[in-house]
Amino acid sequence: MTTLNVRDAAGRVAGPTAAADSASTGPVLTAIARTVVALGRALLIAVPVLLVSTFITFMLGGLTEQDPASLVLGDSATPADVARMREVFGLDKPLLLRYLLWLWSALHGDLGSSWFSKIPVAQSIAERLPVSLSVAVGALLIAVVLGCVFGILAAVRQGGWLDRTVTVVTSVLATVPGFIAAIALITVFSLLVPVLPSGGWVPPSAGLWKWASFLLLPSVSLSLDAAADVARQLRTGMADTLHENYIVGAQVRGLPGWRIVLVHALRNGAGPAVAVLGMHVPRLIGGAVIVETVFALPGIGDLTKTAALGGDVPVVQGALLVTIGVVLISSALVNVLLVKLRPAARREI
Amino acid sequence: MSVSPDSATAVRAAADAAGESGRETLLSVRGLRVSVADGSEVVHGVDLDIPRGSAVGLVGESGSGKTLTCRAVLGLLPVGVEVTGGEISLRGTELTALPAAKRARLRGTDLAAVFQDPASYLNPSITVGAQLAEVLRVKIGLARRAARYRAVELLHAMGLRRPTHVYSQYPFELSGGMLQRVLIAMSITAEPELLIADEATTALDVTVQAEVLELLTELRRDRGLTLMIVSHDLAVISQMCDTVHVFRDGSIVEAGPTRRVLRVPRHPYTRELIENHERFGIDRVRKQRSQQ
Repeated sequence: MTTLNVRDAAGRVAGPTAAADSASTGPVLTAIARTVVALGRALLIAVPVLLVSTFITFMLGGLTEQDPASLVLGDSATPADVARMREVFGLDKPLLLRYLLWLWSALHGDLGSSWFSKIPVAQSIAERLPVSLSVAVGALLIAVVLGCVFGILAAVRQGGWLDRTVTVVTSVLATVPGFIAAIALITVFSLLVPVLPSGGWVPPSAGLWKWASFLLLPSVSLSLDAAADVARQLRTGMADTLHENYIVGAQVRGLPGWRIVLVHALRNGAGPAVAVLGMHVPRLIGGAVIVETVFALPGIGDLTKTAALGGDVPVVQGALLVTIGVVLISSALVNVLLVKLRPAARREI
Repeated sequence: MSVSPDSATAVRAAADAAGESGRETLLSVRGLRVSVADGSEVVHGVDLDIPRGSAVGLVGESGSGKTLTCRAVLGLLPVGVEVTGGEISLRGTELTALPAAKRARLRGTDLAAVFQDPASYLNPSITVGAQLAEVLRVKIGLARRAARYRAVELLHAMGLRRPTHVYSQYPFELSGGMLQRVLIAMSITAEPELLIADEATTALDVTVQAEVLELLTELRRDRGLTLMIVSHDLAVISQMCDTVHVFRDGSIVEAGPTRRVLRVPRHPYTRELIENHERFGIDRVRKQRSQQ
């Protein structure tokens, strides 16, 4: 049994010093290893998901009765012209072969060209992705900030007026469709109090403030249900966590209240909220069609909608590929974040 | 439950004994009353005097009010439970009147506590070393690197082998005995004067329990730590404490020097406790064997 004499502590200086150094590298290494494992697992899932989902969309494109060749050529085209056009588009080949050919060129970065406008798909995506991404990232930030602030406050003030207000407001927001929120926001901030533009888009090069002013309303209307869901999940998760013994343990150690809430409770209570946020990311990017329509934004959602209505299969395929890619990246990030938040949870996997 | 005149004199006797030994009173609890949300009182006027450097035992069955008394002293009563009367003073400072933030600052630096089931009192998602270093940074103001170094040193001083390895472990990777040592390290790191050990060794197996009790005894001897030991186990109390307070139904029924209370119990409940211990304790079997 060791004692706590000064002499003892001094005599052992050599031991703990060397030990303290390895303590700094040890946990770092295991943390990196854990992250790599989580990322690897996410990628292993991503590859088959990517293959299956692109194949399904390709099949759906092939199964529709639309004949793009005759659509492109119009009513006055002769059957010979249509046949020649089908050959150009590769529609005379079997569906599976067409998919493999598409996949092969997609892997080489060639997503083909629009059947109608002849613009390369990669080019239209590159033009529109920044618009969608900036709206989505803006919405994500707003959802995280609002969700965290109100979720944490409601959990800390359980049963108080703030908690009840947050519960009511989030329940309402979670059921309001994005386009209703968009129209309401336009009515208030563009018509009644005309401070923000009701739609359209300028690139950041036109001035950051101007760019942000065009982004704000679409981002807010897109973020509301995500913010409400994050707030609700965070409130529930944190409310449970705040009753745990280790919160009492942290209080006994005399740690300040904000540190207990933001370090000890948040870390263990944030899991469900992070998972829900991860599920919202696809909706922020792929599901922005309605918001992009309402605000007349030239984004991926708008591109997909126009292409899908016209039967422009290469464009739809390319847009879907990008959307799926973004979704997979975000879910991989969420998985890594969850592992980092609660390392003990790896026992449950 | 009314306090019999017999126990009242015993309480006074304990206070006198402390006065005679010439040690100043570190913690004084006077007429402490604790009630739950529906208005029913669960602790009915408890008096306690804990002289500096002493070890005071609180014994009694579960639900007798020992733990609530400790939590009231710490200022950490569960939600809906509150102090409805009495005074708690630490070195003459009245604690019940202090605002929550000031009481939080006292915890760790003036009084500390360890509990039963140590694993549940540590954050499951943070390594034990990081949690210990956090206390060192927040309560003592050490820098990151210094806190890590000091934390490893403290783990070593608590008798943990391979302290650097322990530093980077998560709570679920350590045994109960190791975790209790980690918690003791955390609680004494800001050099509090009073350590409350609420059933701190109850869930541990006997050899580990002995080691942890030994560690507490050493801390008392080497650092002058005052101990308040809560247990339902008379063996622990008799081994560790100078004076003992017997709790029943939210009141102290008997108090006095441990030897006196265990040898000549005055209150019927104390007698019952000791008899049960004799009847079911290991000593009885051992005595029988030696008689054969």
